[in-house]
Amino acid sequence: MSVSTPTTIQEVKDRNRALIQEVLTVYPEKTAKRRAKHLNVHEEGKSDCGVKSNIKSIPGVMTIRGCAYAGSKGVVWGPIKDMIHISHGPVGCGQYSWAARRNYYVGTTGIDTFGTMQFTSDFQEKDIVFGGDKKLAKLIDEIEVLFPLNKGISVQSECPIGLIGDDIEAVSKNKSKEYGGKTIVPVRCEGFRGVSQSLGHHIANDAIRDWVFDKSEGKELAFEPGPYDVAIIGDYNIGGDAWSSRILLEEMGLRVIAQWSGDGTIAELEATPKAKLNVLHCYRSMNYISRHMEEKYGIPWVEYNFFGPTKIEESLRKIASYFDEKIQAGAEAVIAKYRALTDAVIAKYKPRLQGKTVMLYVGGLRPRHVIGAYEDLGMNVVGTGYEFGHNDDYQRTAQHYVKDGTLIYDDVTGYEFEKFVETVKPDLVGSGIKEKYVFQKMGVPFRQMHSWDYSGPYHGYDGFAIFARDMDMAINSPVWKLPHAPWKADPEYVAIAAE
Amino acid sequence: MSLRQIAFYGKGGIGKSTTSQNTLAALADLGQRILIVGCDPKADSTRLMLHAKAQDTILSLAAEAGSVEDLELEDVMKIGYKDIRCVESGGPEPGVGCAGRGVITSINFLEENGAYDNIDYVSYDVLGDVVCGGFAMPIRENKAQEIYIVMSGEMMAMYAANNISKGILKYANSGGVRLGGLICNERQTDKELELAESLAKKLGTQLIHFVPRDNIVQHAELRRMTVIEYAPDSRQADEYRTLAQKIHNNAGRGVIPTPISMDELEDLLMEHGIISAVDETQVGKTASQLV
Amino acid sequence: MPQDAEHIKDHFELFRGEEYKDMIANKRANFENRHPEAEVERVREWAKTEEYKDLNFSREALVVNPAKACQPLGAVFVAVGFEGTIPFVHGSQGCVAYYRSHFSRHFKEPTSCVSSSMTEDAAVFGGLNNMIDGLANTYSMYKPKMIAVSTTCMAEVIGDDLNAFIKTAREKGSIPEDFDVPFAHTPAFVGSHITGYDNAMKGVLEYFWDGKAGTIEKTVRVPNAKINFLGGFDGYTVGNTREVKRIFDMMKVEYTILGDNSDVWDTPTDGEFRMYDGGTTLEEAGQAVHARATISMQEFCTEKTLPFIAAHGQETVALNHPIGVEATDRFVMEVARLAGVEIPDDLAKERGRLVDAIADSNAHIHGKKFAIYGDPDLCYGLAQFVMELGGEPVVVLSTNGNKAWAAKMQDLFDSSPFGAGCKAYPGKDLWHMRSLLFTEKPDFLIGNTYGKYLERDTGVPLIRVGFPIFDRHHKHRYPVWGYQGGLNVLVTILDRIFEHMDANTNVPSQTDYSYDIIR
Repeated sequence: MSVSTPTTIQEVKDRNRALIQEVLTVYPEKTAKRRAKHLNVHEEGKSDCGVKSNIKSIPGVMTIRGCAYAGSKGVVWGPIKDMIHISHGPVGCGQYSWAARRNYYVGTTGIDTFGTMQFTSDFQEKDIVFGGDKKLAKLIDEIEVLFPLNKGISVQSECPIGLIGDDIEAVSKNKSKEYGGKTIVPVRCEGFRGVSQSLGHHIANDAIRDWVFDKSEGKELAFEPGPYDVAIIGDYNIGGDAWSSRILLEEMGLRVIAQWSGDGTIAELEATPKAKLNVLHCYRSMNYISRHMEEKYGIPWVEYNFFGPTKIEESLRKIASYFDEKIQAGAEAVIAKYRALTDAVIAKYKPRLQGKTVMLYVGGLRPRHVIGAYEDLGMNVVGTGYEFGHNDDYQRTAQHYVKDGTLIYDDVTGYEFEKFVETVKPDLVGSGIKEKYVFQKMGVPFRQMHSWDYSGPYHGYDGFAIFARDMDMAINSPVWKLPHAPWKADPEYVAIAAE
Repeated sequence: MSLRQIAFYGKGGIGKSTTSQNTLAALADLGQRILIVGCDPKADSTRLMLHAKAQDTILSLAAEAGSVEDLELEDVMKIGYKDIRCVESGGPEPGVGCAGRGVITSINFLEENGAYDNIDYVSYDVLGDVVCGGFAMPIRENKAQEIYIVMSGEMMAMYAANNISKGILKYANSGGVRLGGLICNERQTDKELELAESLAKKLGTQLIHFVPRDNIVQHAELRRMTVIEYAPDSRQADEYRTLAQKIHNNAGRGVIPTPISMDELEDLLMEHGIISAVDETQVGKTASQLV
Repeated sequence: MPQDAEHIKDHFELFRGEEYKDMIANKRANFENRHPEAEVERVREWAKTEEYKDLNFSREALVVNPAKACQPLGAVFVAVGFEGTIPFVHGSQGCVAYYRSHFSRHFKEPTSCVSSSMTEDAAVFGGLNNMIDGLANTYSMYKPKMIAVSTTCMAEVIGDDLNAFIKTAREKGSIPEDFDVPFAHTPAFVGSHITGYDNAMKGVLEYFWDGKAGTIEKTVRVPNAKINFLGGFDGYTVGNTREVKRIFDMMKVEYTILGDNSDVWDTPTDGEFRMYDGGTTLEEAGQAVHARATISMQEFCTEKTLPFIAAHGQETVALNHPIGVEATDRFVMEVARLAGVEIPDDLAKERGRLVDAIADSNAHIHGKKFAIYGDPDLCYGLAQFVMELGGEPVVVLSTNGNKAWAAKMQDLFDSSPFGAGCKAYPGKDLWHMRSLLFTEKPDFLIGNTYGKYLERDTGVPLIRVGFPIFDRHHKHRYPVWGYQGGLNVLVTILDRIFEHMDANTNVPSQTDYSYDIIR
């Protein structure tokens, strides 16, 4: 392959297509055939990205995906801070996911708040052989003694629960009755269900529908519903994202009555059917419950994107369009208020980032949502893909985000991702902790786009400033001048000199 | 002599535990040192040896103690008739937990704690059918060398025997397990011997013994004894001694089974006139419809 | 405190601004349906009492904040310590994502590992096809020299048989006939990550020494002069292994490190990603059967492996994560004895330097009370060292420690006046530890990253030693073994003590005294 960088769109497309063919040659025939369907080069005007998605990962290829438990406990339920979430099964799942997602909250941990704790039934051999229902019942009793201020319990099933046929629903129902109707939610999110985290989101959504909404009907609200009540759906408050979003909604005159689920509470979940509008950030993980509330309670929902000023402006106006002029004027006021900040941020960072290229590989919404923020800084996303996206994600990506010729990779394997980055040579890769060090070793700047690399928030105007700072910090760090020892020949230098 | 490991499989209720215990008692009479590993949650594989209802199982003791690591071999092993060592794996009540995992746990525990030292025979007595990986534990590599399937002339027993053969076949290529033969425990169905021999032939094996029905077995059983012990001079005791000798001589003569399809099995039954050819027009009709 | 392009505030400062503080307070007051402040305060105080501790210790089913992980993590740890080896975990794929993340967060390094990605259909029909396809894919994509197979709890519950599956995969051509695939069953519902280490290490040795799963003849041992070294599951494996090699080289001992992770978890950033780096060669792993003896640094990580090795005719020695002078003396002397070599004077000098450092600093540690938690052997090594420094362990807790461990700890406490009154807590978790910190009131806590929540809630300063350490960088590069390692642990303890002293004496016109520049 030529070392010269392709310049025209056609050259880029040709390079990318050749690259896909090249990586497929490593696989046994059957696998190559299956993987081929997940890799593509985006063609402008197409309604989706032309890849298959939400299909079982192939054994042995080093998929980056997780499991249904990760989707339910790790993503949807875990951040509900005043409930206790039991990782039901062996110790590992709860241990590895313990406080790892930085779902920020405030509260007295261990007393009335339980977010950064790991509760587990720590299954032993005897629990597998004889079943774990009795242990679960006893465990709930012990929680009630030691953590009396908890507002509810969820039972997050790990693999063995479904395999040995435990009846966690019956235990939950009995215990709920025994504790005066306490919210106890059995969740069938065993890791072997489905093909990725995605089914876990769905199962978790359904559990809220069946075990929270249906039970709380008729419960009295702590507040008077108002005309401008909205709920933030699908923001997990990673590094405080939901807070830097909420502040904008409140500034435009809306009242946020619930956060799902970052810094969330069971009271907020229960109050949500009274909202006038559900504003949905992570479509992938919470579209199910939004659709349910639309059907059952007639609450409309609207997707929004709070990454980068262009998308934020667009989203604020879209949200405002569901309300009266007061809110619409509020949205304009918010946009105007922050313009000075965003102009200053762009003025400072765009010159340092202009023309830089990015490859992404993330989870629910970020493979598309962050593209606008990069473009606001003059950067181009040249490759993207979803860990657990479905076709509707790829449709949204194709129709609103990616440019012609973008390399698309669904459920990418470790091998493919490495080869793609090696050839495309982006200036930045945005993906997860498992990928971070692979690319940094290669000398490619990297940011974790699940955890914001322990920074954040990235949502909202305040978050955009941090996003810009961090991308600059990654790309323009002096460390990237150092990987090659000066006494060793620089292959690129040699190549250029030879031309 | 190196350790021989055998296993008895067969449909539930076929008389597997009775047959195996009588055979093993006879083997003990031949001077063989024997360990019985019951692999059925019902834990009835050693009762005739111990004159007991059911011994404490590995899994129930482990659950009490905390885990299997907290157990000693002496806690779980009882000595019965002619110094036969007896352990029961045990397991959950019907409908809960995972009995198959229990089998794996128990066998690992026994191996690690030296239960197989200084004996000539290990015999696994395994519940009905190979329903999951756990119940296949005794046929994994370095476990049982030969499997003896206890069956009768009843259709379901033959169906089960064929299924168990499929299980053995799965492991026979990679591991060393072989089918030792069929043991027909007489139910006095039509043409039983003939049928059992035919099935054995189809499966590529032998009918190693046809155990006739005799009420003395029930008499002994009521006293929680084997016939070998209860009435050593009876004809039935001789039958079990013959079976024991045949098994003893069968070392290394097991085969890789050739299980047959459901259709072939039906054909076999038809051949022997056990069932008549299925009239397709009658399938799915209730009795009243057929009148 | 609005955002400012010139001084960009991230979560550390941003949410302390008035507008965010008001917003969060408003959310709490109006929408969260909180318990009254006084009630929260009452329960918070109650949770510090003896009464609460008793209730806490009467728990039988619930586990809160355990300090242990599951078996396959230990198996992955073992696998990557062998040359060109990729760990292959048979079962659900989510587990593998977790192990990789967990190691990467600790070592700040990539961890390559594949899964057989079993899903619902495999739960019903067994995972044989996943094994067949998986091995074929891994072999062709990642060109390993060896694939080391272990299991998740899913495969264990349904009873998949690795030996038979791997054989079948071989027959079907997934991997060449003579390609090395050792394996170990590692059910997550038995033991912990240290059990997984033990099973996986034994699995590898059994594979190489006992005829590669029945494919070749068992190796006949011809004893040579070498010593095998087993480090056990160790968060400091990078620094420790290098230090141990240095000591062996100084002593002129011929040795084999069984499972050498020091390179694969410390690869350079030089433009190339090394999926494999260093590690025990497969040749060495096979030849290790001929060694004269094997020394294990962690008894409770090698409970099955050592007897297995002993059964092959080698002498075996088990230590308990030796830290400090006396523990390192024992290590060095055992090595010298087993290998039949002299201990060089340079090593005696290093020893003297550690003693010198202790003599200089022990006054700041003498009589201080310590609570310690971690893996069983690490707890032992740390408690022994603390006592050597004149500190007094009062609580030593190990979630994956068993009764035998507790008895061994008690013997250690009984051996010194500094151990009087200390108690070992096997099988307890960090919520038990929380109660103990309130009631036993130690001066310092030694443990891993999760201890920071205890530090916050109880005010007992945390000294970070253990695994995982996520919130401090590069600690794994520094050894805790050998005399040099002892020095590192000493400095880690001292630094925290000094920081704590300064933090408690720095209020002007209140604690001006004691805020000394010379300590």
